[in-house]
Order: sequence, then structure tokens, then C-alpha cells
Amino acid sequence: MPQMGFYFDQTRCIGCYTCAVACKDWHDIDSGPVKWLRVQTIEDGKFPDLFVAFLASHCYHCENPPCSLACPADAIHKRETDGIVVVDREKCLGNSKCRTLCLNACPWDVPQFGNDEGAKMEKCDLCLERLEQGRQAICVEACPMYAFDIGPLDELKVKYGDSFEAEGFIYSERFKPAVVFKNKRRD
Amino acid sequence: MVTNAITDSNEKVIPTVCCSHCGGACVLKVHVKDGVVTRIETDDGEEPQYRACLRGRAYRQRVYAPDRIAFPLKRVGKRGEGKFERVSWDEALDKVASEIKRVRDRYGAAAILLLTSMGDGNNLHSGDPIDRVLNLAGGHTSTWGFWSFEQAVFAELATFGTYNCRNSPEDALHSELIILWGCNPAVTIQETRTSWYLMQAKEGGTKIICIDPKYTRSAAILAHKWIPIRPATDTAMLVAMAHAMIREDLQDQKFLDRYTIGFDKFKDYVLGVEDGVPKTPAWAEAITGVPSATIEEVAREYATTKPAALITGISPGRTAYGEQYHRAAITLAAMTGNIGIHGGEVGARTFRSGGRLRLDPALPRAANPVDGGIPFKSHLIPVGSEVSSGKGGINTHQVADAILKGKAGGYPSDYKLLYIVNSNYLNQDANINKTVQAFKAVDFIVTQEQFMTSTARFADIILPTATFLERNAIPLTYGGAFYGFARKAIEPVGECKSHLEIAAELAIKLGITDFNDKTEDQLLRQSVTTLRGFLDYETLKKQGIFKVEASEPYVAFKKEIEDSTHHPFPTASGKIEIYSQQLAELNHPEIPPIPKYIQAWESRNDPLAQKYPLQLTTSHCLRRAHSQFDNLPWLREVGPQAVLINADDAKERSISNGDLVKVFNSRGEMVIPAEVSEGILPGVVDVPEGAWYDPDERGVDRGGCPNILTRDKTSPGGGFVSSSCLVQVEKV
Repeated sequence: MPQMGFYFDQTRCIGCYTCAVACKDWHDIDSGPVKWLRVQTIEDGKFPDLFVAFLASHCYHCENPPCSLACPADAIHKRETDGIVVVDREKCLGNSKCRTLCLNACPWDVPQFGNDEGAKMEKCDLCLERLEQGRQAICVEACPMYAFDIGPLDELKVKYGDSFEAEGFIYSERFKPAVVFKNKRRD
Repeated sequence: MVTNAITDSNEKVIPTVCCSHCGGACVLKVHVKDGVVTRIETDDGEEPQYRACLRGRAYRQRVYAPDRIAFPLKRVGKRGEGKFERVSWDEALDKVASEIKRVRDRYGAAAILLLTSMGDGNNLHSGDPIDRVLNLAGGHTSTWGFWSFEQAVFAELATFGTYNCRNSPEDALHSELIILWGCNPAVTIQETRTSWYLMQAKEGGTKIICIDPKYTRSAAILAHKWIPIRPATDTAMLVAMAHAMIREDLQDQKFLDRYTIGFDKFKDYVLGVEDGVPKTPAWAEAITGVPSATIEEVAREYATTKPAALITGISPGRTAYGEQYHRAAITLAAMTGNIGIHGGEVGARTFRSGGRLRLDPALPRAANPVDGGIPFKSHLIPVGSEVSSGKGGINTHQVADAILKGKAGGYPSDYKLLYIVNSNYLNQDANINKTVQAFKAVDFIVTQEQFMTSTARFADIILPTATFLERNAIPLTYGGAFYGFARKAIEPVGECKSHLEIAAELAIKLGITDFNDKTEDQLLRQSVTTLRGFLDYETLKKQGIFKVEASEPYVAFKKEIEDSTHHPFPTASGKIEIYSQQLAELNHPEIPPIPKYIQAWESRNDPLAQKYPLQLTTSHCLRRAHSQFDNLPWLREVGPQAVLINADDAKERSISNGDLVKVFNSRGEMVIPAEVSEGILPGVVDVPEGAWYDPDERGVDRGGCPNILTRDKTSPGGGFVSSSCLVQVEKV
């Protein structure tokens, strides 16, 4: 089974949030706590010796997705064809009934519910609709710094190497997130 | 028409160009279904792609914002109180026309002051249509002077004789060393692809140094090294770098001899022959806070690495005597022979030559009987001189002063009516409390606006205007190597109209018959006649985006350097004027004929610093283009408006990250959250410009607009001074 995955070049990310806004526009997500794509700032050091990096986080579409295992309603499943982890919002019980078990299980806080009572889970679907039509995901095409790529994980590893390391990211051997990075290392 | 796979039969995808006043002008592809914008994509065509930033991507929220002004409004409360009621277009325009006639007939046309800016970057729906109407109705007072880079324009005209001084951004790929001086392209988009080219240069082995009071995104990501410097002291460091170069005989003397005049006079100043003060790196360390060893190191590196690009931001120029910063930077570029070559930059940063892309205004200008049009060259004339005030126009940054003092204060007229188009003047010029006083003093204010901005709140009539998705225009593509056609994607929201439509209807109300007899399409067609030869109007209109292929990156002054005999610099001497006779003749102590460090007012050495010890800078904000986009929720998520303060300064004041603090001086006060950071020089605080002034009942600004604090004194060349301002910060 081919596994689709992400590549993120952390050395290129200027933290401009264009991907995050493009994602909200494309998927028509209101402003507010629900974010399919989050941008995190990592800061370190004392004036004037400083380090800043940004980490853009999507869903990593794990080989062993903990969210799927945790879901009591069998609403989250991993597609055979491409390994993309999708949520069936019809089946999802909503945040009040299951106490967001998928979110609790995910080490990267990917599942999004928002604050509304009974809200159902949503998250990055790797722009499935666009990929199926031969397009790239909206974030990949949005990035002014060409920092993203999405494709079969094996191919990404050949192109970019197989580093799981990035500032602000912790890899999980158990879940095997489908991502490779170019890390902005601290000097 | 560009096609897109993800459309259903009812969905169109319309390519257009973002006209939002940031220097970017990026490609947008707007999805429209049943007359409604549903999604926005960006350039996915051939490289180079002009990918839009977060602001362009959020434009759908702007068009359909719940706070969009969709109908003409008439003030019903006190001026500035923000109380309005909906009126018909007829009633609104009748009122505007009758006020124009009344003021003109009673006080003369000079009493009508037109304030426009670049809020909508295109060649038709700008301030031009109203300018034409007012001129046909008898004229109006104009303003001169840019907010962005008046000091740079002044320096470039004085030194090069032209302000077309930039290489194209892809030329960064030819540089071995790049110095980003007060320049943060990761946030401030002067050209869409600058950050990307800089990143590619870095990946290719080019060393990048960033000099800035703030550890900006560019310093953190694009640069190898950050050198923090005190605001408004950049000239001192540049001059000391010259000292280090001269001491080690590193200057490119051949270049100086051949292409410049006056280096010896500058050298005398630098070495202290002129005034007994050698401008050594140690001298500069005391002023700038940059260690002398660092200054020497950068000087040596810049002088010995070739080609090297000194990419100057325009923000260090927006200080008191900022003209000197640009003059000194150009002098250093000349000393290192980096002018006119690939991979060099001339140290100036205003415009790029119009040779590659040229666009004429779509609507013919009508002569202005009041001031006869203000010649651009007048920018070399210092503020306050007889010539500058005698022309009839006034400096952009003296509007409040001119209104409050009028003829009695030496201005050419009294000012009674403000016509404001594409400008959030009150928010964006210095010393808001004074501007508020002035805006309350005039008889009538009309503004053409999309939102209830700080300026619109003070209007008597607000005319709701179309966004760039609601009319056709040729966008100004600034630095991008492409022409665009900004096609009307949707009908205007509510009763909004384009600037051209508004002007045409106002012309009728004023009894003007010769305003315009052409359609929007005809006007746009005639404006691109200059493109004929390689691009016709129909192709441009059909294609939406037309990229211009260049065989090599554009290099400013290439001809002048390669063949100086036939191509002299457009100065009086035909050379780069390190010493300017023209400036010498001004005989103005604050505009010396050679670049000199002059201590800014409200520097840390000012006695006022006892009371207000922190220097304020007013950087650009990632989520705004000046004051545009401040109200969009998607963008507000990026972060709150806050004052950036160094961790030590915060600790001294018992301020923790996120605390509400008071930022104040004698001119005004704001209350906003503090962002405590290691990433700013101690003694400096930064409040990003463009946040909407939002006064509470005590007049304290809760919106965090830095102009509540800035001083309305222009630099001697007429430039806006935003970052020579002392403040104090206290926990609320």
C-alpha cells in the first residue's frame, strides 16, 4: 500500500502563515480555534544570541494512527489506497459524547473540534479532493518559500532524505507519522 | 481564461492581481460561483510564480466582511463619534457637490484639500478620477511627499539624479554577500519573490547579514548573522564602516575616481579633517551600540567580497535626518564598486527602472488651477522653504498643521474641505491627537472607503467603494515582471461603486460635462497602448496575467557604468554625487552636501529620554498592508497587536508576556498587550504600524496605533518620521 506523506523544509519557513490562511479559505474554515494547519514558533536563546524556527503542522497520516484506534465510533479510518487518514463526520460522536479521545491519543494535537458543544472532529485530509484531481495540496501551492511537498512517502525520502527531525517535532516510533523534514538545526 | 480542474460547471476561476498597497502585487485566482467568491488560489502557472501572501489569501473575508460599508453613510453624531445613518447615493453626492461648491465659492478652490494614497494599486480606480473632477471644478490643494520613502527619494535624486535605483530581486542570486539593512522582506513585501530569491542565494552559499534593532523573521531565517543597532543611528555605522575601509585602503578608488565626485570631501569628514572628530568604529559604537570590532568586520567583509549587495530597507530612512542614511549607503556602495554590476546593489531602494514595465494612468489628468501640479523634482526642496510652500501644495505630513494654522501660519491657504480617497490618513500620519483636532476643525470631510477606518469615523459623508474584485483595472505590478488585468470577478457588494463611477456621478452633480466620455474598458485599453509591440490589450485581458521574460536580471545603472561616456548619470555633474553642489546651494545646515551623521531628535541622548527612556520603532505587521486588513478575523489569528519589549526592560517594569501595558509620551497614550522578547534591542520597543486607532472615552488608544505617539515633524527633505520617537512603558 503506498503511503502519502509530507515533506517540510524548516530551514525555508519564514513563518508567514500564508499556508494556514490558504487552508482556511480553501476548506472554508471560520476564524477560530479549528485549524487544519498550525504554525508554531520555536524560540531559544538570550539577546543577542537567538534562535527562531517555525514548524508548520498538518496531520501526519500515521502508519499506525492512534486517533483511529482511540475512536469509539470507528469514525476515523486509514485509506487503503494512499494511507490518508480520514474522518467520517457522520459517525463521529462529537466532542461532548466521547470527550475527544482521538485528540487525547494524538501526540501532535491534530484532531480539531473547536469550542462548540457537540462539535465533530475535523482535520487535514491532505487536500484529498485536489490530489485526486492531480493537483497539489493547497498549502504546497501557497507557500511562497517552496517549503512543502506532498507525495508518496517513499518518493519523498528519495528526494529529501529520511530525517524525522525538526525543531518542535517529536517523532513516534510507534505511530510512524508519514513525514520527512529538513531540520533548521540550532548552531 | 485560466482553467482549473476543481470547478463545477457553474464555477469560474478568474485570474487577477492583488492591488493592496504593499509593493507585492501577487497573482490571485478567484473562484466565483453564482456571482459569489468561494475560494482564492494563487499563481500555479509557469515560473516565476507570484505567490500571494496571507493577506491576498484572506481577501474573500475582506469582500464579505460584516463590517464592510455597503451603502452611502451620513454622519449623525458628533464628528469622530462614529454615528452614521444610511442615505441614498443621490443625497450623499448632492451633499458632497454642494459642499465643494460652497467652499470653493466662499474660500477659493485651494481650501479643498485632496488626500489620496496607494490604498488600491491600479492605474484607474485610484485618487485620479476625483483629482480630475476637482480640477475641472476649479482645482484643489495637493500634497507632496510619500510616507514610505521620501528620505530615500531625496537622497537618490541628490546622488544619482533618479529614483530608479534597484536591481531586480532575482539578481540576489549573483551576490556573494548580502547585507539586509533595516530590511525585512519576510514580512514587508516590496517585491513578491524577494524572500525566495534570498533563500536561494543563501542555499547557494551567499552570506547574508541582517542589521536591525529587531530580530526579524528575515534576521532569523534568511540571514546568517544578526547585528542589532539602535534606531536612527544607521548613518553613524555606515560612516564608521567608511572609516574602516579608508584606514585599510580598501575602497575601490578607481571606481570612485571614474564615476563619482566629492569622495575627498566625504573622506575629510570621515577622517575628522573637517571637524576634528574621526568617525572611527569606536566613535560609532558609542552611538549605535554595535561593537567597533563588528563594524570593522562588516566593513572589511563588504569591501573585500565582490559582488556584494547592500540592500537597504526604507525604514531606517523614516527617521529624523533619514536622508543621510540613504546618502551614506549609496556612498558605501560606490566605495565598494558595487554599482551597475550583477550581484551588487546601489544602497538605494525606492523604485526599479520603468524600462521593463510601463503603464500610463488610464484617465487623463486635468490641470490643477490651484498649484499647477507639483513637480516631482520638488522633493529636493526642503520643507519650510519659500519654494515648497509657495507652490500651493503642502507636504503630506503637514496636513494637520496646515489645517490648524492656515494662512495665518504661513500656509498658502486656509483649508475647509477634505476629500479623502484610498487613504487612512488620520491613522497613518504622525501625531493622531493633533490630526483629530485638525479634522474636527474643518467644515466638511468626505471619504471613499470600504470600512469604518479611523479616518472614515471622522467623515461627514462616506461613499462606499468597490474592492479590486468588483471592477476592472490594470494593476500596478510594482516589482513583478508581469502585466496583469484585474478583471471584475463579482458585482460590487451592496451599493458600492468604483472610484471612476463615483467621480463620474459627482461630475454630473457639479455640472461638469467634460469629465469622461469613455467606458472603463476604453480607458483601460488606451492606457496600455505603450505595451504594443509585444502585448496587446485583448491578449492581456483574455490571459489575465502576462509574464515578461527577461534574458538577465535588471541591473540599475549598468549602462552608466559600462559606457559612462555615452551614458552619464542624470546629475548635474553626470557622476554619482557624493558631494552635491545642488544640496550645497540649499545652504541648509540639516541637509549637508556630503552624507553626515546628524543625531536624530528624540534619540536616547535627548534630555527627554529621562522621562521617556525607550525608543519606539513602528515596523510593518505580517497581517496587514499598512492599515489594510487589520479587521479580518483570519488574519487576526496570527497574533494580537502588541508592543514588543526586551525581556530586561520588561523585567525592570514588572511586565510579563501578555500583560496589558500603557505606552505613552507627551503626545498620546495607548494600552495594549506586551510581547516580551529577547528579540529586540534593550531600550527599544516596537509597535507595528497600521493598527486602527480606537480611542476610549479618555482618548487612550486601545487599538495600538503607533501614530498616537509619533511626532509630526518632517525630516528636512520632507520625509515622514516614524521612528524617532521616545516613549515610556508601564504596566497598567
